[in-house]
Amino acid sequence: MSRITVRRAAATVLAGALALVPITLAAPASPAAAEEGGTFTVGLLQDADSLNPFVGTVLEAYEMWGLMYDQLTGYAQEDLSAKPSLAESWEESPDQTTWTYQIRSGLSWSDGKPLTAEDAAYTFDRIINGTDEQTNYGGYVANITAAEATDDTTLVLTVSQPTPIMTRLAVPILPKHIWEDIPAEETLTFPNDDQPVGSGPFALVEYEPGQFLRFKANQDYWAGAPKVDEVVFRIFGNEDTMVQALRKGEIDFAEGLSANTFASLEGAEGITTVNGASTGYNQVGFNTGAATVDGEAIGDGHPAFADVRFRQALAHAIDRQTILDKVFGGFAALGTTIIPPIYANTHLDPGDQTWPFDLAKANQLLDAAGYPRGADGIRTLPDGTKPLKGVRYFARSESPTSQQTAPFIKGWFAELGIELEVSVIDPNQLTEVIGNGEYDVFDWGWGVEPDPDYMLSVFTCDQRSTRDGDALVAGLSDSFFCSEEYDALYAEQGQTTDADERDAIVRKMQEILYNDAPYVLTVYDQQLEAYRSDRWTNVQPQPIPDGPLIFQFGTYTYRNVEPIAGSGAGGTDDGGLSTGALIAIAAGAVLVLAGGGYLVARSRRQGTSGADDRE
Amino acid sequence: MPGLPDAPVAVDEAAVRGRRRFPGTDSYVLRRVLASVGTLAFVLVFNFFLFRILPGDPAKNLTRNRQIPQEQVDALRESFGLDQPLAGQFLAYLRNLVTGELGISYKFRQPVFEVIADRIWPTLLLVGTGTLIATVVGLRLGIRSGWNRGGRFDKVTTGTTLTLYSMPEFWLGLMLLALFSVGVGVFPGIFPTGGLRSPGVEPGSLEGVLDLLWHLALPVATLALAYLAEYTLVMRSSLIDEIGEDYLTTARAKGLPDAEVRRRHAVPNALLPTTTLIALNLGFVVSGAITIETVFSIPGLGLLTYEALRVPDFPLLQGLFLVFSVGVIAANLAADLIYGRLDPRVRG
Repeated sequence: MSRITVRRAAATVLAGALALVPITLAAPASPAAAEEGGTFTVGLLQDADSLNPFVGTVLEAYEMWGLMYDQLTGYAQEDLSAKPSLAESWEESPDQTTWTYQIRSGLSWSDGKPLTAEDAAYTFDRIINGTDEQTNYGGYVANITAAEATDDTTLVLTVSQPTPIMTRLAVPILPKHIWEDIPAEETLTFPNDDQPVGSGPFALVEYEPGQFLRFKANQDYWAGAPKVDEVVFRIFGNEDTMVQALRKGEIDFAEGLSANTFASLEGAEGITTVNGASTGYNQVGFNTGAATVDGEAIGDGHPAFADVRFRQALAHAIDRQTILDKVFGGFAALGTTIIPPIYANTHLDPGDQTWPFDLAKANQLLDAAGYPRGADGIRTLPDGTKPLKGVRYFARSESPTSQQTAPFIKGWFAELGIELEVSVIDPNQLTEVIGNGEYDVFDWGWGVEPDPDYMLSVFTCDQRSTRDGDALVAGLSDSFFCSEEYDALYAEQGQTTDADERDAIVRKMQEILYNDAPYVLTVYDQQLEAYRSDRWTNVQPQPIPDGPLIFQFGTYTYRNVEPIAGSGAGGTDDGGLSTGALIAIAAGAVLVLAGGGYLVARSRRQGTSGADDRE
Repeated sequence: MPGLPDAPVAVDEAAVRGRRRFPGTDSYVLRRVLASVGTLAFVLVFNFFLFRILPGDPAKNLTRNRQIPQEQVDALRESFGLDQPLAGQFLAYLRNLVTGELGISYKFRQPVFEVIADRIWPTLLLVGTGTLIATVVGLRLGIRSGWNRGGRFDKVTTGTTLTLYSMPEFWLGLMLLALFSVGVGVFPGIFPTGGLRSPGVEPGSLEGVLDLLWHLALPVATLALAYLAEYTLVMRSSLIDEIGEDYLTTARAKGLPDAEVRRRHAVPNALLPTTTLIALNLGFVVSGAITIETVFSIPGLGLLTYEALRVPDFPLLQGLFLVFSVGVIAANLAADLIYGRLDPRVRG
């Protein structure tokens, strides 16, 4: 009897406690007073791998550093040309041996300490003299021999030879007073995620790895205070969930969408989709004659692909429009030359000199070049040997578009009497296969930086494989293209500091590659984004007008986006427990209560029967 | 030795032996512990070589698509110790293990121990809670369905749990997400779409705890629903096995009520196979539930493993698999020991 009483009492207390929960909750859950500028919440599919600018490697990390730090120079919103950032102006000495940057005066770090040329000099010094510091920025300082602050606002960089990239040094300027306390051996293990000191338009205030990053606006930013109060990045494990969150309004912006999802969002109420021109391209590449840097032939590529006439014929057999429509869902642009049109100043537009899709013409060209068809319709080398059968074509396992492209190419090449054997492999493995020259055709792509040097270097003779004992080490080259003329131009552009002159050389190099066709570009990627246009306005593309809205070379959208008055933007959804949460918890409480009550009732029944039994 | 007639004799022998030795310890326990340690040692050695078969050079992958001189890549490889011959790397690995050192993650540049410690809580919370709920509810459902086999309750329960079991986890998760997070029709969208906490909420506070529960509700529900069938069906079938046994008839003949026969006689015996299942599943609690972590954007060990494999981040992978192995081996050991206590026949 007494047992029952205790149980009943416990149940009553439990019920009471649960009923109280929503009431006690009401206090903390009252919406965190919606600040004027609100919180702009961006959904990402990957977290920054590190917030330490010497460690991170993924694009997301670079985006966060862009919010936290400034560079000497920035990239214009119109056309990505160099424009003032921390440096108001700069000048190359007439003898081309030094660059002098005028640093803005009166700047301060997020902890209030002054930011001077001394910080910039320290940052460059640390990289020039460092080892671990070079991993991310070594390429930018390769020609810089010294960095010196001659006064608080003047930075002088000395270069070993004329260097065109000095207005595009993508190096975040770090606070000397923080980093000088971090010894070289701790450079890489310093997490830099606890209220890191920066100078950028936003400062990181809260980081939950794998879940979110919260940034507060820098009200004293030299280019003007951002219009929002906070930017939050939320990390999603998959795209479907991220899109649901966008529809629901938990996030305001979704980045990195796939073509299917993107299409499903088009026309959704309150949502605007943006397919911004991006820096990447996809290509079909050929083994133009694998060799080492020393010229030793390696691998076992089919010799036909070393013939420029053969490759040109194949260029006519790749229907880029079909790939764009069928594989990329229309959300891409037709590919031509290796510097994407987003870089309007350096991109070469081949105009009507393109390779039109024309299988009859391709067949004619192959006939003319002397690749006869055998009895089985398969073409062979001019001497009738080595039929083009089982020609190896590699697609990548991590890329759905790569795999979807393969059957199209296989079909078109079959019409030419070339039989492809498609393999899908891991990109790591593909790098190895290519480095050994054991391939004929492959599908891959590149992301291209604003400075063209790196992309251009891929096609130099020096980037072919090197021999290390018995092993071959892959260079950057994946087509083994090698041309004296091209290499000479590459050296020349690397020392031409006049922008127009250099752009002309870079276009000439693109023309060589386009005509020699080590690559046939299929499409230029687009960056697929969507945002709540019913709540937010004043997003900023870069370049204007058809560039992406975020993941730019700058922070244009973050600094300018503003909530639409009365739309509830930046409101309570992000600031802790909302009404929805309250209802959820109340519902949960009721459920628990009901379940608990049921169990108590059941035990009581059993208890009673047990008691009866004993009596 | 096996075979039914001998069994009682065997039990007697064990009991006699047990009395002769120190109370509480016996060779059975010792053997099980030694076997576990042996398995762990094998796994540790095996892991080292397993990961090195993975294609890809970590130094190259971490510097891909950036303007880096080859010397930098070489320096990176040297700092990882990858320039050493495999035997040298293996010795260094063993030396580290003995000193309890798991190394520095290539990708995150933080001690492996810390990286794992950061990510293990979400996994323990999610999978632990989900497994617990699935076990408790599943066993209760299983007992009731098994006891009244063929009844309406049994039919409904078996059908429902089997349906849930055969749904792909990610699909079930996405459905719950669409119904209860986004909201469709009469379903209220009251739960968050992912993550474990809201920005700006203090984790330790009352609000923080409620915020965590609010975030956990859907993923835990998904996990519990998906695994419910395992426990329900095992419990049900082992209870059904017991139903025909003579001792139950005896119990009934003594005049015990049906519920008592079930609770005090049938269920304890039927729990034996279920113990193994529970223990084994507990071992997998630490290895996470990668599909559910993916759907609900929970940064647990499952997702971490996936990230580590992409590099491949050898020290982190070794650390993760060490944790997973210890989990599974410890759970197995626990199952063996508990089983040995519940059923003395296996101790022979």
